[in-house]
Amino acid sequence: MMALPFVVLVLAALVAMLGFRKTSVIVWAVAMAATLYVLWIHTTVPLKIVL
Amino acid sequence: MAAIAKALNILAVLAITGVLLFAFYWQLARGELPCPLCLVQRLGLIGAGLGFVLNVRFGSSESHYGVVIVSALIGGAAATRQILLHIVPDTGSYGSALYGWHFYTWALVAFVAIAALAGLLLFIEAQFVEGTHDLRPTMAAQAVGWLFVAVALASAVSTLLECGFGACPDDPTAYELLRK
Repeated sequence: MMALPFVVLVLAALVAMLGFRKTSVIVWAVAMAATLYVLWIHTTVPLKIVL
Repeated sequence: MAAIAKALNILAVLAITGVLLFAFYWQLARGELPCPLCLVQRLGLIGAGLGFVLNVRFGSSESHYGVVIVSALIGGAAATRQILLHIVPDTGSYGSALYGWHFYTWALVAFVAIAALAGLLLFIEAQFVEGTHDLRPTMAAQAVGWLFVAVALASAVSTLLECGFGACPDDPTAYELLRK
């Protein structure tokens, strides 16, 4: 699961270098959505501070 | 001014590539595997680098700087989360320190700097005026872009080896796919 956003992000970079600008930005958005999901599932430990 | 913006974009890609390579060096030479939050920070760096690569490859655009800033925000959120996990005294830390700060603290500084750079570069309006400069990527720009792709690919392979196809352990000690 953790590797998925990396793979998608590499795809976005590759697509950019091959000349597909808009596709790259769309793939980047998918990668960032996957990144947010990964960040969400890994923020399980409660913080020990009280704001 | 457009040439200055282009040069700064190339320098930003090189700097981010350098940071990713240094993280790799630390991972391989010191044997410190990145934790899940550290990997999210790497994702933020690669995403921000992609925005600068888009500027270098296709010419500057506001949306490319948007890619940089949003990626830096996500990476910065992960770094902040990790700092808050360890901010209370005697709650430990993750990994070793560099010049007194842990890597997640340096990462937050880097993400703030990246977002600030993108914000400042947005003020150079000459880079957005069509027809005032050559949009074809130079050989140097192509080389920098492909170097970035190679480092991003190496990060993806490394993460796949470390975490396998599932979620990454909170405190990884070995590469999941290399276990016998």
